[in-house]
Amino acid sequence: MKLKKCFNLAWNILIHSKLRSWLTIIGIIIGIAAVVSIISISQGAQQQLEDRLGSLGADILTVSPGFSKASGPMGGFREGPMDSDSDSSDEQKNLTVKDVLVLKNLDNVKYVMGQVSGKGEMTYLSKTASVSVTGVDESVWKDITYDELASGRFLVQSDFFSVVLGGRLVETTFENKIPLNGKITIEGKSFKVVGILADGNGVYMPLDIARTVLEDVGEEEFSSISVKIEDVEIANETVGLIEKKLMFSRGILNEKNVDFSVSNPSEMQATIQETTQTMSLFLGAIAAISLLVGAIGIANTMFTSVLEKTKEIGIMKAIGAKNKDVLLIFLLNSGMIGLVGGLGGIILGVFGSTLIGYWGSTLSGGESRMFGSTALTPELLIGALLFSLIIGMIAGAIPAYRASKLNPVDALRYQ
Amino acid sequence: MKNDIIRIENVWKKYDMGSVEPLVVLKEINLTIKRGEFVAITGPSGSGKSTMVNIVGALDKPSWGSVYLDDENISKMSESSLAFLRGKTIGFIFQQFNLLPNLSALENVMLPMEIIDQDEKKSRETAEKLLTKLGLGDRINHKPNELSGGQQQRVAIARSLANDPEVIIADEPTGNLDSKTGKFIMDFLGELNSNGKTVILITHDLDLVKYAKRIVYIKDGRIEK
Ligand SMILES: Nc1ncnc2c1ncn2[C@@H]1O[C@H](COP(=O)(O)OP(=O)(O)OP(=O)(O)O)[C@@H](O)[C@H]1O
Ligand SMILES: [Mg+2]
Repeated sequence: MKLKKCFNLAWNILIHSKLRSWLTIIGIIIGIAAVVSIISISQGAQQQLEDRLGSLGADILTVSPGFSKASGPMGGFREGPMDSDSDSSDEQKNLTVKDVLVLKNLDNVKYVMGQVSGKGEMTYLSKTASVSVTGVDESVWKDITYDELASGRFLVQSDFFSVVLGGRLVETTFENKIPLNGKITIEGKSFKVVGILADGNGVYMPLDIARTVLEDVGEEEFSSISVKIEDVEIANETVGLIEKKLMFSRGILNEKNVDFSVSNPSEMQATIQETTQTMSLFLGAIAAISLLVGAIGIANTMFTSVLEKTKEIGIMKAIGAKNKDVLLIFLLNSGMIGLVGGLGGIILGVFGSTLIGYWGSTLSGGESRMFGSTALTPELLIGALLFSLIIGMIAGAIPAYRASKLNPVDALRYQ
Repeated sequence: MKNDIIRIENVWKKYDMGSVEPLVVLKEINLTIKRGEFVAITGPSGSGKSTMVNIVGALDKPSWGSVYLDDENISKMSESSLAFLRGKTIGFIFQQFNLLPNLSALENVMLPMEIIDQDEKKSRETAEKLLTKLGLGDRINHKPNELSGGQQQRVAIARSLANDPEVIIADEPTGNLDSKTGKFIMDFLGELNSNGKTVILITHDLDLVKYAKRIVYIKDGRIEK
């Protein structure tokens, strides 16, 4: 018998099937819907997490003076020698231009920026506040930072007494009164506001100017160095490389004398990702169980369907159908049950995950938007369809085989 | 072409009944049917008539003995050759019509042709022609449950003729029908026989036996002379 004819007959059985088959299909629909929405929600959550961690700067390593580990020397030593060219001195504690140069040529390093930071008094009109001032390298700052501009521009190399202010500082501390291009005073010096960031409390100005504004910051010295790397996957190796190179250039021979530390945000990320993966795995297992129940439902329906169709199988055999024709018809039939269930499940799953995504984003009010987005990839949808088809066929395989082996006379006599 | 189309040699059929004695329903059956014959098989209920023709029609297997169709031993054929035989060489007509309930009359008649991979268009034409010949030209798209018993049996006859078989086996084809419809069907079988088909008819009805040129009487699983 031609495949097309077997297909037609299988379809005929499906559309004339009793309520029971449709109940089975509902079982598959629910199973597939659960799988689709769970996978799409957890993928969405993971994506969201990655985006947010990325915006925190997963690819930015920070080198700070001092040793953060318990056994190492604590704190930074601001009183280090001014002359950074006199290297290999054991007393040298602060980070220097030389350190920046050493880091610039390392593998996987994209940008390096030394920065200085400290506290300062800022005044606008009659309002005064203590702010944190960061001196940044105008040439690389906009490449390294994840801050976004609300208005104005980032600092450029021709800037001197120009500042970029954090959005929250402007909005909250100074009650929105500072306009773009307005004049403010920091530590008695007058600055022009050239840009306002979307968020943050910081004040950013050119490095050299910051050195004159802030106390305790020597020439050619940095409070920290930010390193932007190309590939986050090998961040750990890069951290190791930075440590090795800096130890070498700073003349440190023993690990316990290390006077700087390198932070690696991607390590923290890995931990968080592991947690979300465990969560997805757990939810996925629940979904898989519901699918298994659906598959057993198909098998059950197929067994009863074959039983109900015994006489018809006898008739088909009496007019010439071969065992393999009968097998194919019933396999296709159970595959169709799976496929129809899969289609319905996808529709329900897409609907469900969109709904959950909507709830997630409205309920959590924008802050922790963990479930605020879902990821419905074509791979997921096609995978779900294929999966339901295969489940249907596997569940129907034994009943279909039994149907095909029926003896024509016995089948015909069946009432 | 040989003159004998069917030859049954020493066929026995036995059902194992588990704890009780096995049931022997056919004993030492020897029968030869010539090409173009019209044979009536009669006998009391439960005597083994259906069992015998089911074996002849390759729906069942004998416990012992051989059945030859055109000199070929069908007891030794593979499952798929037997299926082909049932589809192409033999046309079965049953007392309970045995139509597929979810297919239309036309689809039921087309099915045996499609099973042996006939072209769909040709199958449709043949099926329409057969149904029209049996007076069902205006009922071809009806489902079996939308047809009367007599109409259903005529669809079943059309189906049995779909692949133009050499042998027609009819197991009490009029058993569930009124005498007028019964007569129509018997006349039709008679006409088929005069056009050269071999017809094997099982019946209790002595009025119908007269259509046959030869009568085989079975009692308790044996052919009585
Ligand atoms: N599968 C089976 N298992 C056990 N016994 C069976 C089976 N099939 C048929 N028989 C027995 O075989 C005997 C012959 O049955 P068969 O159907 O051939 O009779 P029949 O002559 O066609 O009767 P009727 O005229 O009533 O149709 C009966 O006694 C029946 O009970
Ligand atoms: Mg009988």
